[in-house]
Amino acid sequence: MNRLNQLPTLRIDPSRKLTLTYRGKSYQGCAGDTIATALYANGVRIFGRSLKYHRPRGLYALDGECSNCLMQVDGIPNVRAENTLLKDGMRVAAQNVKGSAEYDLLGFIDKLDWLMPAGFYYRSMHRPAAIWPIAMKQVRKAAGLGTLAPDFDMPGRFDEIYPTADVCVIGGGPAGLQAALAAAESGLRVVLLEARPQLGGCFDYRVSPYSEDLTLSERAAQLAEQVMRTGNIRVFTHTFMMGAYNNNLISAFQVGGPQAGFAERYIEIRAQSVVVATGCIERPLLFEHNERPGVMQVGCAHRLARTYGLLPGKEAVFSVGHDLGLEAAADLADLGLKVHCVADTRPDGQDPHLLLALAERRIPVLKGWVAKKAHGVKQIKKATLSTVEGTIKRHFACDVLVASAGLTPVTGPLTTAGARLVYDTHTGYFRPKDLPAKMFAAGRMTGCNHHFSIEASGRRAGLQAAAACGADNRKAMEEAGKKLAGLPGPERGSKLVTAPVKGRKTFICFDEDTTVKNIRQAVKMGFDVPELIKRFTSAGTGPGQGGIPGHNLPLYVARCTASPATPRPTTVRSPLVPAFVATFAGTNHDMSKRTPLHDGQKAAGGIFRRIGVWQRARYFSNDLDCREEILNVRNNVGLLDASTLGKFRIHGPDALKALQRVYVSDMSRIKPGRIRYSAMCNDDGCVIDDGVVVKMGENDYYFTTSTARAGATVEWIRYHTRYDGWDFNLVNLTDAMGVVNIAGPNARKVLEAATDADVSNAAFPFAGCREFSVAGRIPVRAMRLGFVGELSFELHAASSWMPALWEILLDAGGKLGIRAFGVEAQNVLRMEKGHVILGQESEQRTNLLDIGLGFLWDRAKTDSKTVGAVALRQAEADKGRLKLVGIAMEDDGRAPKDGSIIVDDRVRGYVCTARKSVTTGQAVGMALVEAQLAEIDTQLDIFEDECRGRRLKARVTAMPFYDPEGRRMRM
Amino acid sequence: MALTLTCPVCGKRNGYEFRYGGEDKGPRPAEEDLTPRAWCDYVHMNRCTAGIQKEWWCHKDGCGVWFTTCRDTVTNLEVDQPEASR
Repeated sequence: MNRLNQLPTLRIDPSRKLTLTYRGKSYQGCAGDTIATALYANGVRIFGRSLKYHRPRGLYALDGECSNCLMQVDGIPNVRAENTLLKDGMRVAAQNVKGSAEYDLLGFIDKLDWLMPAGFYYRSMHRPAAIWPIAMKQVRKAAGLGTLAPDFDMPGRFDEIYPTADVCVIGGGPAGLQAALAAAESGLRVVLLEARPQLGGCFDYRVSPYSEDLTLSERAAQLAEQVMRTGNIRVFTHTFMMGAYNNNLISAFQVGGPQAGFAERYIEIRAQSVVVATGCIERPLLFEHNERPGVMQVGCAHRLARTYGLLPGKEAVFSVGHDLGLEAAADLADLGLKVHCVADTRPDGQDPHLLLALAERRIPVLKGWVAKKAHGVKQIKKATLSTVEGTIKRHFACDVLVASAGLTPVTGPLTTAGARLVYDTHTGYFRPKDLPAKMFAAGRMTGCNHHFSIEASGRRAGLQAAAACGADNRKAMEEAGKKLAGLPGPERGSKLVTAPVKGRKTFICFDEDTTVKNIRQAVKMGFDVPELIKRFTSAGTGPGQGGIPGHNLPLYVARCTASPATPRPTTVRSPLVPAFVATFAGTNHDMSKRTPLHDGQKAAGGIFRRIGVWQRARYFSNDLDCREEILNVRNNVGLLDASTLGKFRIHGPDALKALQRVYVSDMSRIKPGRIRYSAMCNDDGCVIDDGVVVKMGENDYYFTTSTARAGATVEWIRYHTRYDGWDFNLVNLTDAMGVVNIAGPNARKVLEAATDADVSNAAFPFAGCREFSVAGRIPVRAMRLGFVGELSFELHAASSWMPALWEILLDAGGKLGIRAFGVEAQNVLRMEKGHVILGQESEQRTNLLDIGLGFLWDRAKTDSKTVGAVALRQAEADKGRLKLVGIAMEDDGRAPKDGSIIVDDRVRGYVCTARKSVTTGQAVGMALVEAQLAEIDTQLDIFEDECRGRRLKARVTAMPFYDPEGRRMRM
Repeated sequence: MALTLTCPVCGKRNGYEFRYGGEDKGPRPAEEDLTPRAWCDYVHMNRCTAGIQKEWWCHKDGCGVWFTTCRDTVTNLEVDQPEASR
């Protein structure tokens, strides 16, 4: 098709050709085309088949109100072809067709509509009950939208941003642009959202005069240019608003492009005040076959020509209820469309200038007439018009029927924020009442239609929004109010509900193939409220989010039911436009931390795993049993990066009180130079953390927490002391300090080679804490702990020193054969020793007593109101709890998987950690079992996933499995 | 999240930055003569006011402070402290 290449209103670049593939053929479109307009330019008239009846569907509206042009694009189903910009190389397919959109084998279903009355899914195919599962499969095959390949992977980058604004303006038409400019005058931060790729709204494509020397389109460009030039207005075009929430939170998403760096991005705007200027869409005209390809709305026909340079057809008939229809008819006639006649449902009230313009072009205007029927199946061939009473009929041959009952405001942005809608008999609109605080409506949605009124209402709303942010613009607001009062107010709207038809093929909802006959059936069955009829007939529940039936349904229901006479609209919910789940998911922020020893461990052959927020070296060889690493610790000496431990300093006059509150032990009894191992519980006595505390001075302590708790500890301590007003400071040193653990019988030799300090057993005994320097310059805090069950020194030093410290220790132990070991080796070593890791040997319900750490609890310090103490006291007598026990596998069996359950005829516990002990050669582990099973030598049956009935046998044994006397860590 | 809260240190911030700390139930009860029931009520039972309630929030992604504020649980908006609870 030849394009109208020279129009000043064009939004395409005819010189830049893009290709797309459809039906196996390559087609050309232009830059700026949407998928739908590019296909339309190539003669495609049928874009898909309808959900239920497989009726051919064509281009009807251009803003995505209906599902007519939902297509499969590059594997993505349900893409709105009419507002998705064309990209080079797109592969497009029609949806819900068996065959092609033009020749659909299921097209015969359209003739079976008498079999499918309102709510037939609920009423037929259920008796006998066995039919439904079979019928459902067939229904699913025949009815539906696009299909998604199960292995489909969404391409593109999905971003998200959370801008803050003083004023958020929704809608970039003349009212929205004026509102943004007015609000920006006070220096406020303004955000403007526009759904189309360009600003201008209902002015953008029209060439009617705005003033003596400007057309509407030129005026739109002028306003848009002013907005773009204003520094404090941030413009988001091609951005669909999804919902408004209280406190003026707006969610939206923006469609990106090759230059934008994102496919789509989720936008969540927190604004102080909001202006909604979303304008109007058209109210569909109800007549027989009102959705045949070739029937389209006024704006669609007009914008096809003016924005995309495409004449919608050759010969057209107009049936409209609004002056925009008359304007479009005259303009399209000038562009070369043969307009046979314009039927206007209104008996009077038309703009005399437009009537004159039509008369000059010899286009007859039939006042009080309406389209009654469209003829033709795949493309309309003829239209029947009649008077609105249906008394006189006339036929016109045509290939385009431009049909629209009138306008309907886009109120979703207001109602999702909580505004109520009331039917206004003057405009025929549902107009918002009780607008939420600091939310203002402007533009055509308020009922005004004159271009000056639209702009003036936008300006006033912008000033009101600015005032709501605290701007002092009283004077400007007064002027704006006065100006608006002097301009034409809301116009009388067309009241016609439907053409005089029976309605068997008069579709009130295109998405769900609901006819007005279905609505009448529903009413006859006793449904009287639009909200219920919507659900029963599914009108308005499709992807168009009620864009097509939103206005007509309540009007039609009100007409069918004598009372209540006032139409009541159905509820609109967010997202107001269909959005990808990928858009909500946004970017996958896979962020993790590296310890200061990351590079050193990598060089030593470390294999890293994400553990919590950290990247940690889990293995140092491909032997996942870590045999060499473990034996080297048991028999020689190993080096572990323990920098992920939570590390804190607490100091200040009330530091001890705070520790007493959260730790179960009595912290007042810590001796200088000694370590106190202790645990924290929650208010239920369940153990949440363990670690060591050392006293650095009076009311000055250094303590460690488990890796997982490092992030929550400060908040935890502050929470549990929130009523006390205590004076203490908490410093999270987790990232500022690193920890390296030298473990093994030769650990002391390594340390002696690295420091001059006396680290002999006498000078630095087990559970001691000393400060000295390594290699004469690295200050370290050393602790003698025995987590892995061997002589070990834990060296805490500033993170910046850690790489050097690591090298020095490797050097010092080089001759001995020191080597790094990883988290998995540590896990086995400590398990052999019976030391617990919280989260592994405990779960949410496990209390301090259950895992055998009751000895840590000091019952005497009731004055401290220790967190968990009350619950522990109550839990002591509780016999129904799980207990931590050691288990050994019978008959030389292998170790069960962690988390396997212990069963007899029901679940009796579960395995926490189990490994083949490298040191003893036996498969052992720890398990939480019911107290009755905790006796030594009790036999346990272990059920693993997919064990097919073959249970593993284990026996409760004493812990620890290694060095029960604990001599080795005290060497 | 539509909620915004006013941190006493950082000012009005997005609700995402905060962690809820429960209703304001007063200081921990003394452990002497504390019945299990009274303890359970203190820890687990809530008034669940439909309306304005005073509650604890932590500015977890900011300064880390725990503070009390009043929120209307019906509208989910922060409101000024009623005179009575000041």
